[in-house]
Amino acid sequence: MSIEKLNPKAGEVVPWQVKEKEAGKIMGDKEIIKKEWEDIEALAYRYVWAVVTDF
Amino acid sequence: MSDDMEKLYEIRLNRYKTAMLNGKPDKVPLRIFAAEFSSKYAGFTVQQATYNYKIAFEAVRKCAKDFNWDATVLNMIYCWGGIIDAFGQKYYRLPGLNLPENMGFQYVEPPDEETAYMHEDEYDLLIENPTEFLMNVWIPRISKYAAKPGETNIYLNNAAWLKGGIAMMKYFNDFGEAGALLKSECGAVSAIFGILKSPFDVIADKFRGFRQVCVDVYRQPKKVEAACEALMPHLLKNALLSSDPSGTLPVSIWLHRGTLFNQSMYEQFFWPTTKEIIIELWKKGIQTLWYAEGNWSKWLKYTAELPEKSIIYHVDKEDIFEVHKQVGEKFAISGGIPNDMLAFASPEEVKAFCKKVIEIIGKDGGYIMDAGAIVMSDAKPENMMAMSQAVEEYGYY
Repeated sequence: MSIEKLNPKAGEVVPWQVKEKEAGKIMGDKEIIKKEWEDIEALAYRYVWAVVTDF
Repeated sequence: MSDDMEKLYEIRLNRYKTAMLNGKPDKVPLRIFAAEFSSKYAGFTVQQATYNYKIAFEAVRKCAKDFNWDATVLNMIYCWGGIIDAFGQKYYRLPGLNLPENMGFQYVEPPDEETAYMHEDEYDLLIENPTEFLMNVWIPRISKYAAKPGETNIYLNNAAWLKGGIAMMKYFNDFGEAGALLKSECGAVSAIFGILKSPFDVIADKFRGFRQVCVDVYRQPKKVEAACEALMPHLLKNALLSSDPSGTLPVSIWLHRGTLFNQSMYEQFFWPTTKEIIIELWKKGIQTLWYAEGNWSKWLKYTAELPEKSIIYHVDKEDIFEVHKQVGEKFAISGGIPNDMLAFASPEEVKAFCKKVIEIIGKDGGYIMDAGAIVMSDAKPENMMAMSQAVEEYGYY
């Protein structure tokens, strides 16, 4: 089975573009949604990389 | 917090900052990195401090008070047993679980290709996208519970990811309170903020293991080089995300394998990406504590390429006097008090050596007193006190 490639950049685990595509037409302010998404991405990213650097 | 403690904290913070920037403070700062020494001194077993990090925090505070430390690390027993058991890392042995209760935790290096956490033919996967490599390949391999995409998922996989994340949030969050208590109860400064590893060290320590990477540097050097370059932006980002929001305290780089390879390999694999990360951090005003474990003297000419004041050069096994001669103009220096001296010498010998270091290295400022390596349970309390006394008697400018 091939593994889906999302190609996250440094600081993210699932790129915003994945969420944006899934959401389709965003009815309100996209930036509000994007900010929260990316803030949580940074936490998740730190978690994953902390297994390498901290633990 | 009492006014006196607030005042003491400000004096110590200023002292530490000034010295880190290679300036002359009021006194030589005493900044100790202590692990199992703290828990033993405070009357706890190593298991207690490893499994209950609040005990480790409390033990450090007791030491900070009793030994008059200006700065210290909130918890150098960084491998919290709770999170390891939750997430299931195979590469640790823990005190009380599968080690005697008073032995420090142990990292178990993969001994061969079969047990390596990254295989020799997986460099392209790592290079293509390091984060996806971690989530899809490395973590499922290093965790007892994590399932690889495409494998049958199990309850324990979901539980491990959930528990690991929650445990990490709790642990990192509690560092905030620990820092506040170190300040309010001891007037002491939290010495470092943020973590960095060299890309090559990540490959050699956590991915391939030392024996395997020794083969890789000959059989597939371009892949090793490309892997270091692919890791570089992530280790920089990780350092930035973990760094001090105020920009005052340094990120710490824990240097491991660079001394074990020859010059051409250091130049090709270890140095370029490590240097680039440190320079990028400094561009944002963040210093790096160059925690050079072992002896890094043979690479001093490379370290000297770094921008002035961008690092604090920490001395472990090197000749601190020689390091000072070569790079003391550019960088503050810390450490250099040998751990075996703290374990085996007399307090008089320790004090005399500290005096010598203060008078020569600390003469014009830019010196922070510390042991060469993290202080373990073999250090004698009377020798740690001798360091404190030396700073008090000889360290004022």
